[in-house]
Amino acid sequence: MWIQPKELLLPSAFWIAEMYSKYFVLQKRRGHGESRGFGSMLVGTFDSVMNTKPAPYRILHQTPSSEVSYEIAIGITQDEIVKDWEWLQANLFNALNEMENEDDVTNFTICKIQSLYAQNNQDDTGESADFKVMTSQFRQIFKMPEEERLVNSYSATYVKNKIPRQGQLYISMNHVCFYSYMLGQEIKRIIRFAELEDISRNANIIYLKTTNNMTYNFTLLFNASEAHVLIEQLNKMAIQQLIHDPESPVVDHDPSNFARLGGKANSASTSKKPVLLRDLTARQKSEEFRVHFRLPQTEIIDGKIKANIWTPYSKRFNAGDVKDLVSVVIPMKTIKSVEKKDDGQQRFDNQIVIITSENVPFVFAQIIDREILISKITDLLSRIHVPVSRERAKYDISWSKQTALMNTFRTKFSEEMLKKQEEKLARWDSHFRDFGRGIGMFRTTDVINLIVEGIPDKLRQEIWLIFSGAIHDKEMNPGLYEDLVEKAACIKSCFAHDDIDRDLPRSLPEHPAFQSPDGIGALRRVLQAYALRNPQVGYCQAMNIVSSVFLLFCDEENAFWMLASLCENLLPDYYKDKVVGAQIDQGVLNELVETHLPDLHEHLEQLGVIKMISISWFLTIFISVISYESSLHILDCFFYEGAKIIFMIALQIIEWNREKLLKCHDDGEAMLVLQTYLEGIYNPEYQVPPSSDKRRMERPQTQTVQTLIHEAYTKFGEELTQQRIEELRNKHRRLTVRQFDLDNEKTIVKGHLQNPYFDRKELHMLLSIIREEKMVLKSLQQQHKQQGGNQLGETPQLQHQSPTRLPNEPISRQEAYAVNFEIFHTLFTELTPWRKCVSVDIGEKLFRLTDKKGTGSLDFGQLINALGLVCSQRSMEKLKLLFILHLPPLLSKAEIERLRRPRPRTKDDAEEAIEAEDFFEDDASESIEALPSPSDHNFDGDDYALISATQHLHNLAGISGNTFMDLSRNTPNLSLNSNGICGGGGGGGGGGGGGSNSTFYVDLPGANRTSATDLLGLGQQGRYESIDTFSDISDLGANRLTPPTMDNVAATAAAAASGGAGAAAGADPLLLNVETISNFSQISDLVAATRLERADSNATDSRSLGSLGYLLDQPDEATGGSLQQHIPHMRKENFHLLWRSIIEILGCVQDEEMRRAHENLLEMGNSNIKKEPSLESFTQLNMGGSGDEQPDSNGNPTTPAAESSNTTRLFVALEEELRQAGGASTRSNSSTTTNIYESWHISINQFIETVLTVNAIQKGFQVPIQIVEQIEQLQKKRRKCLSTNY
Amino acid sequence: MATRKKSLLKVIILGDSSVGKTSLMNQYVNKRFSNQYKATIGADFCTKEVVVNDRVVTMQIWDTAGQERFQSLGVAFYRGADCCVLVYDVTAPNSFKNLDSWRDEFLIQASPRNPEHFPFVVLGNKVDLDNRQVSTRRAQQWCQSKNDIPYYETSAKEGINVEMAFQTIAKNALDQEADAEVINDFPDQIILNSQNNRPGNQDNCQC
Repeated sequence: MWIQPKELLLPSAFWIAEMYSKYFVLQKRRGHGESRGFGSMLVGTFDSVMNTKPAPYRILHQTPSSEVSYEIAIGITQDEIVKDWEWLQANLFNALNEMENEDDVTNFTICKIQSLYAQNNQDDTGESADFKVMTSQFRQIFKMPEEERLVNSYSATYVKNKIPRQGQLYISMNHVCFYSYMLGQEIKRIIRFAELEDISRNANIIYLKTTNNMTYNFTLLFNASEAHVLIEQLNKMAIQQLIHDPESPVVDHDPSNFARLGGKANSASTSKKPVLLRDLTARQKSEEFRVHFRLPQTEIIDGKIKANIWTPYSKRFNAGDVKDLVSVVIPMKTIKSVEKKDDGQQRFDNQIVIITSENVPFVFAQIIDREILISKITDLLSRIHVPVSRERAKYDISWSKQTALMNTFRTKFSEEMLKKQEEKLARWDSHFRDFGRGIGMFRTTDVINLIVEGIPDKLRQEIWLIFSGAIHDKEMNPGLYEDLVEKAACIKSCFAHDDIDRDLPRSLPEHPAFQSPDGIGALRRVLQAYALRNPQVGYCQAMNIVSSVFLLFCDEENAFWMLASLCENLLPDYYKDKVVGAQIDQGVLNELVETHLPDLHEHLEQLGVIKMISISWFLTIFISVISYESSLHILDCFFYEGAKIIFMIALQIIEWNREKLLKCHDDGEAMLVLQTYLEGIYNPEYQVPPSSDKRRMERPQTQTVQTLIHEAYTKFGEELTQQRIEELRNKHRRLTVRQFDLDNEKTIVKGHLQNPYFDRKELHMLLSIIREEKMVLKSLQQQHKQQGGNQLGETPQLQHQSPTRLPNEPISRQEAYAVNFEIFHTLFTELTPWRKCVSVDIGEKLFRLTDKKGTGSLDFGQLINALGLVCSQRSMEKLKLLFILHLPPLLSKAEIERLRRPRPRTKDDAEEAIEAEDFFEDDASESIEALPSPSDHNFDGDDYALISATQHLHNLAGISGNTFMDLSRNTPNLSLNSNGICGGGGGGGGGGGGGSNSTFYVDLPGANRTSATDLLGLGQQGRYESIDTFSDISDLGANRLTPPTMDNVAATAAAAASGGAGAAAGADPLLLNVETISNFSQISDLVAATRLERADSNATDSRSLGSLGYLLDQPDEATGGSLQQHIPHMRKENFHLLWRSIIEILGCVQDEEMRRAHENLLEMGNSNIKKEPSLESFTQLNMGGSGDEQPDSNGNPTTPAAESSNTTRLFVALEEELRQAGGASTRSNSSTTTNIYESWHISINQFIETVLTVNAIQKGFQVPIQIVEQIEQLQKKRRKCLSTNY
Repeated sequence: MATRKKSLLKVIILGDSSVGKTSLMNQYVNKRFSNQYKATIGADFCTKEVVVNDRVVTMQIWDTAGQERFQSLGVAFYRGADCCVLVYDVTAPNSFKNLDSWRDEFLIQASPRNPEHFPFVVLGNKVDLDNRQVSTRRAQQWCQSKNDIPYYETSAKEGINVEMAFQTIAKNALDQEADAEVINDFPDQIILNSQNNRPGNQDNCQC
């Protein structure tokens, strides 16, 4: 890419010239692309230490007589730089050659390049060229995908084994990475944000600790604090992502929303900081800004400007940015005019007067960039859109908004109390006169003083709305509440509504308002509307309690918006699944107790009290633990101070009871102490209504709430700041989420301790690696999604437009650890000894074998069984498993085909291919005819299953059987089998096909070549009340079933039965039905997936897996002899691959003994041909690879016809696929088919017996694998970026 | 031996939201019923002195929140429980179905020493209501299938069976205490004794 031309004096140090011309040279960085050589090592070290990160290619411009050369283009790849070079060749070379003066040449060139540079960078992302280079290096070094965006990088030192390594610390969206290269020694570290457990900074040292107890120390000479803040922020985002919705990204977390901030305001002054970093910083700023001024989530800070403000109450100007002095929020939409004003006084020049719609002037002074500010305000004012009540659908529901319930249900005040209320009102009024009223009031410490004394009832609504920030949300969304209420009322039933209804009478039952339908109705509407607005939260107990208090003082809509701002801003994540936010704050409280009340902390920790007591304090802001009258005062403070007040009061409560708590011996006592104390708190400004909750009456009064609040402020008000709480929350968010994982893991491990393979520690390790792998995978997928469609969000957080989504069901423990194929495959190849097997993808086979239901994922138990067996020392079972994995449904003909004729792409592949050829060469002499030519494979017994399945469906669907007939005409196999299928009755099926199968054909009764529809009819007449035609279909490859009563086919049936009458299938047909239905969906999936690979045996895969999986299901019983009967015999092609796999797994050259065993087996297979009559071998062939034979009714498509049209449709589609695939492959192959039936085969018994006699194999398979070591190695690889599995 | 037993019993009440856990506890402890309880957030707590097997013991009753999202908080309360009371509402079939998961969850989280014989008691509450939906037989069957859990049908409102149910709870909790002590406090001693006593004696006789 073109860059701003730069002067260089030493053009060739560290660089090698690759192309020359008169005025230009293309250079390559020494050492790039090479790994050896002293020169490259030196340059590498130099680059790494000096933190010069040049692009590997560049083009220089120089003139023969000049010392100075100019860097004009850089490139990350050779192609890129060559393109630029070619451009120069095409456009500049000639022109320059015609110039005479060298200065002209230089000037012309530079001018040209500058214009090119300017042109290219117009629509650019705004990233500097350096940063682009950095990004590409980052991706290259750590093998990060394109989607992983680099935020920034810092020069850093990493201390490893006491040796400091100078290098570069990269911070990307999901990782902290470190790279250093010192004289040939490379160090890479990758740390995911989501796995950080501890982050701290001490001066220049950043300390990180991950969940698997790895610790890292990075020393940053410069910008340590910036890096630290960045790590904290990104970690927070990562953890929040885990909390919010573990499975999908939250729109809010896409920093691109903030991209628009980067531009205007900053660009003038900034800094070469990367765009993403600016975005993240802006994001952070906005967040602080929102929290400070309690603004809604949609607000984004646009800029900050220093100013002094004229405060009328004190008649002077106050400097901006002084903490806790005064703050003002002026909503843009209330601004009526902005004027410049200069009153000549030197001290306070550059004034601005903002006048709001209520004619309140705000005077700001000493604004340095006044012009900019004014134009900015003008600009923003012009863009402001006043939200209008939107058009909404009419619902047939009549309701009216409830006004504040206190108006109807008046609190009884005594004379004295009334007087007190009046006094307060008067003081507030005078405060309003001085400080203004409404949103634009001056907020100073004077307000706090007033609030602490309690807001008078009449003002509560107004003050609460302003200080909670709910007013902004409300004003921006007019009509939304009504809309939500009506929509919610139309929802017939959902869990949230049931929960809400149950809790309505249990919200604030002591207050008469909630004993009446008015109060209950309003509460229902508010809660239902909120559940609809925020499905992530839905309804959580405790929301009812706080909402009911809101409703007493506010009208319904205001109460709703207060609830919204409570759940979304004031108490983040509190009411989500597992009340995670409250649990985090519990952790924070625990730590605060430790710092402020250390002596008590130890004792309380021992009793485990804090966890028990505080949940209700947090979730209901004390309303559920102290009397409602008293809690009102706490609420007043809460809206002004935020969560801080909860911590203060909590600390004060514990402190107050210090002595008593120290005397407690168990958690119960401590509970009782606090309960007694809390219930005794009273508010003298209200008359305690005679409560029927008698428990409360008996408690002696302990303290007034006013004292409690006052004491809390005096003792803890200073030390607790919003910022400190945020920091602690970040820390405990990490710990809490981590704790959830640990608890989950513990529970799962407990449930699987009985497994035969792994012990507790190994299970824990397995779980942790699964968790980590899932995170890796997820972060990648997530970025994909974000890259995809995220430009939509104007509202960053809550998309209330889509309330149709139901409240998300929490994921169960087990599900959280289920693995999909990708992860399974990684684990398999990384952890098990069978990874060495390269020619056959055993991992994939094992997955399919284990995933019996075809769900595409394995639960933890299945995973243990699969991996456990492979890692165990049970040599015989392992060999059996290996045998099974090489049987047809798993290792299909088509696949063998592919393996036999690989397309050599790389050297390795080619070698393999040759090897493979060798293998097949071996047996060529023995069975050249027995091995059908490649084209024949297209349609063998396995395919047949699919076809007949299709045929069934076809029948079900009532479509004419022509297609089927077409197919069968071309495939003799098929016709044979269809004879089998429809029993004697149908007979004819596709008999019209080739004559070569006549052997079998004559076994069957006179074929009336009916169409498939007839078959259906016959089937229906048939004696079979088959319930499980579905399972038949899925078992088709295996079952050619004939009615036993029919003499003519009795032989076949008998053969089938003797071949291994299915154990499983017979047992419970109904069950099978269920299972096979799920298989169907898999069939269609598979067919779709492998459409290009021909519809080979996929259809039968799932079918027979059930029976093959036997070994995995009952690992302990599998040793019994019974197993062998269910395992079909193996054909030669498969056997060759099996043998090869064994050799690969053993990782050695065949010794003499093995060779002999191999020959023996081959011989055995040969003799099997002779031994067995053709009819039997037919059976075996058709067993195809399945054990669960089941002597019944393939030809009986009775039940399913009525069952489900869905399934039928599915099959029609399936057949369509098949026809396409089949069309290509159904060439006549009659001549060879007979041979297949007589082909070479070998039974599992023969195999095992022979193989176990071989020492090398026996020993090799007996070695158990220490899974823990393997996992640790994998983790290390990941950390150090040694594997390429990203 | 008897003097060593601690005179404190920890009882946990579990069950779906609004099956009447708080009411049962208060009916038992305070002999009162009120329809004015707030939904329990986190947990609530009461103690009562009871006389079981002629001994006075303090019963700590922990009443928990029923909503599912509070379930993970249970661990803190389950620790050291002596008996677990599972409550369902006879008019709400779902609350009965969920007994299974409540029981499993408790066993997993509390990990009692002897999960097979940990004392549970099942209470079918609200029998005073007319619209009963879970039959006594069904509930009894379930209880039998789970190692014969004692089952009572109660009404916290009318005070039906509450006293009796909690007596059983106290008694079973106390038995469990005794068992636990026998098994865990002196494991070596007792195993040695039993080995010496029984098989030894038999051998002697036979010889």
